[in-house]
Amino acid sequence: MSEVRLTGGCQCGAVRYALHEQPTNPHICHCRMCQKAFGSFFAPLTGVPLDKFELTRGELAIFRSSDPTERGFCRNCGTPLTFHDVGRPRIAVSIGSLDRPADIMPRLQFGNESRVPWFAELTALPGDTTSEQDDPDLTAKIAATNHQHPDHDTEAWPPAEGFAP
Amino acid sequence: MTATHITGGCQCGAVRYALEQEPQNVHVCHCRMCQKAVGGPFAVICPVLKPAFKVTRGTISYFMSSDVGRRGFCSACGTPLTFDYPDGDDVGVLVGTLDEPDHAPPVIQYGNESRVAWYSGLTQLPGDHPTYAGNPEMSHRIGSTNHQHPDHDTEAWPPA
Repeated sequence: MSEVRLTGGCQCGAVRYALHEQPTNPHICHCRMCQKAFGSFFAPLTGVPLDKFELTRGELAIFRSSDPTERGFCRNCGTPLTFHDVGRPRIAVSIGSLDRPADIMPRLQFGNESRVPWFAELTALPGDTTSEQDDPDLTAKIAATNHQHPDHDTEAWPPAEGFAP
Repeated sequence: MTATHITGGCQCGAVRYALEQEPQNVHVCHCRMCQKAVGGPFAVICPVLKPAFKVTRGTISYFMSSDVGRRGFCSACGTPLTFDYPDGDDVGVLVGTLDEPDHAPPVIQYGNESRVAWYSGLTQLPGDHPTYAGNPEMSHRIGSTNHQHPDHDTEAWPPA
């Protein structure tokens, strides 16, 4: 049986991590603290035992959003990365920071006291175009100078040859 | 007519801002860059014209996610705050950073090439409980030591 290894990290690539077990309890949390920490309607999280979470590059910056809770992020680019209740043997990672977020479907929702009233309409929004269809020139410019870490581990980052001009 | 004044900021309160215009074309963006920047399946962006965006406390840190786009965040707590093209006319604030995110419903979605397959099922997920409904002790521990900035402007923060 091959070893489980799911990788992820922040947008700039300064922080990379690996999960050595299939994460469990994938969920979204609507609570106002998760909303604000993620700048969004909810936080999507999935967790592993602490000893199955490995930082493979860089360090997590920590904001203690309350005494029991640490929120980990990248000091260099801001990406929200982890959620950990101090003293508990588990840590959760943000699903969007995984290299393959589409593989981890949330199964539950929590923090519903702060759920935005139009949440139910979210998935029925109009719009089905791709970035390229909307603005091919801009999409090409972004792609040519994309500073986001690729969705897989790298030997070194940023690339020694620098980013494309 | 009252002037528009919509406030928001990061989780820790080091950065606060005000919008002097209602956000226009609030949108969900599924593109992989927005996903990774916010650690989520999509970003929700609320654009206003740049002169209508005022930083009222602290300084926004920026990551140039490409040569043409940049992402503003708080370096003290990590909250993703803004997205803009430095050469563009508007700046988008991230909806969850508004003090009243309920007031900015998105009207359209973009970046659908990276939309996660489970997006359509997101609103049907089971679960209807408030935070730590089954764990009042944890709820109390968080509530009594909440370090998040309140959802309104403050004279000084953290409290003296």
